Amino acid sequence: MSLNSIGYWIREAGRSLWRNSWMALASISTVTIALFVLAVFVVVSVNVNHVTGLLENEVEIRVFIKPHVDRRREFLLMREAENWPGVRKIQFFTKQEAAEALKEEFPDQRTLFQLLQKSNPLFDGYDVYARTPTAIPPLARRFAREPIVHNVVYQGTVVRRLSRLATVLKWAGWVVEALLGLATLLIIINTIRLAVFARRREIQVMRLVGATSWFIRWPFILEGLTIGFIGALVADAAVGLGYHWVVQQAAISLPFWPMAAFRVVLVHTTVFTLAGGLVVGALASVIALHRFLRV
Amino acid sequence: MIRLEGVTKRYPNGHQGLVDVSMTIHRGEFVFLVGPSGAGKSTLIRLLYGEERPTTGEVVIDQFRLNALNWRQLPRLRRQLGIVFQDVKLLPTRTVFQNVAFAMEVVGASRKDIHKRVPQVLELVGLARRRDHYPEELSGGEQQRLGIARALVNHPSYVLADEPTGNLDPETAAEIMKLFQEINRRGATVVMATHARELVNQMQKRVVVIERGRIVRDDAKGVYAYESK
Ligand SMILES: Nc1ncnc2c1ncn2[C@@H]1O[C@H](COP(=O)(O)OP(=O)(O)O)[C@@H](O)[C@H]1O
Ligand SMILES: [Mg+2]
Repeated sequence: MSLNSIGYWIREAGRSLWRNSWMALASISTVTIALFVLAVFVVVSVNVNHVTGLLENEVEIRVFIKPHVDRRREFLLMREAENWPGVRKIQFFTKQEAAEALKEEFPDQRTLFQLLQKSNPLFDGYDVYARTPTAIPPLARRFAREPIVHNVVYQGTVVRRLSRLATVLKWAGWVVEALLGLATLLIIINTIRLAVFARRREIQVMRLVGATSWFIRWPFILEGLTIGFIGALVADAAVGLGYHWVVQQAAISLPFWPMAAFRVVLVHTTVFTLAGGLVVGALASVIALHRFLRV
Repeated sequence: MIRLEGVTKRYPNGHQGLVDVSMTIHRGEFVFLVGPSGAGKSTLIRLLYGEERPTTGEVVIDQFRLNALNWRQLPRLRRQLGIVFQDVKLLPTRTVFQNVAFAMEVVGASRKDIHKRVPQVLELVGLARRRDHYPEELSGGEQQRLGIARALVNHPSYVLADEPTGNLDPETAAEIMKLFQEINRRGATVVMATHARELVNQMQKRVVVIERGRIVRDDAKGVYAYESK
């Protein structure tokens, strides 16, 4: 299509939005609300993923060996377990090392140190790191079945809870989004329908002088896209500013809480809101034109 | 060339628009369609610009076979046609100039061509001095001229007019008729449905009489005459 036509489409879309500015404003508001909710979901899931990622590097399974098992058998099991599926890394520790670690972790517990010095009640063992959080429970059970193993403790519960939370969030997000998306779709369809109605004389003349169907449709599609685009920008800006503020507050009052970086979050929300806004805007126009514009 | 071959148009409500109509209109002709109200004149014109499809029979304009016309070809056909109505279908929010320019804009003409061509047609229809007025500021005759200017601006080979003088007083109607004569003289084929008895008789052009959907007379230099009832 020629530049003349593109200029015409943009002028017409602008004129139409201006003429129906209240309806356009209503559409933009609903798009904004829907995309704002979407962006909040994105922010939360990016953060959940961030924390999950960090925790995955922590010790996941701690395996304690029965007392009086000799070193050779301890190493044998370790070598074997290194090849089990789901195992990323195994580190052996002696009960002396375990005592040192405890001392470091609780420097103020005098009586504990004295007890440890007299007779160390701790065990030798392994720190086992899994490849994925879901691999943890089966690995723990497998270690527990080994005859030389005294007991197995795993701290992966938090990680597993988080990844379950991420899944739930994802599904809840989709359901809420589907409903909001539908509401948005309907109101944009209505806006476009009104725009078609307002321009029915122009459309009639266009058809009579031989404008092509697509020539007649484009201004309305641009109008839908513009509504989606503006809604996305507003929602994204609001969530961006909000998250920026939260990150700053968290740095003061929850300094140990690992927040996902502002930039990373902004990239995600921008991609999702823009894609959402443009897709809904275009889809609404196409549906509206199909139903209300016979050309 | 326009060719109708055994054309019948039956509307979904059962009304017969046209019954077994065959006729040929050559390039450069000026043809009046006359007949009582409800005879099928408008139906014939709507078949010609593809607003309606024939129930049976064939409608052909140049290389366009309208029975099988798809959505891509219809705009191409329409660019060969200039269509004029009794209710002129002007855009009230646009000036005289913009109303005509609109017809060029929407078929993708450049700004330069528009600014060259629109004044020409406005000159032809005698509206050059009214270019910045809005339609509501024009008389009935001027509005009809504006409609004609818009129909002509894209150089159509065929001009189809459905009672273009229906709302006008006899003097204004005569002027409009002269304008169509001039358009025809410049090479466009004109097909006009009309009730303007005096004017048809004066013009000495081909007259096709339609009654109850059928062609009952077709005279090369005809007069406006049909049996009432
Ligand atoms: N859109 C339509 N739907 C149903 N019937 C129609 C329609 N247009 C015209 N008719 C019928 O077709 C016949 C011819 O009408 P028309 O072509 O408008 O006649 P004219 O223009 O000569 O007055 C009439 O009986 C009319 O009622
Ligand atoms: Mg009629």
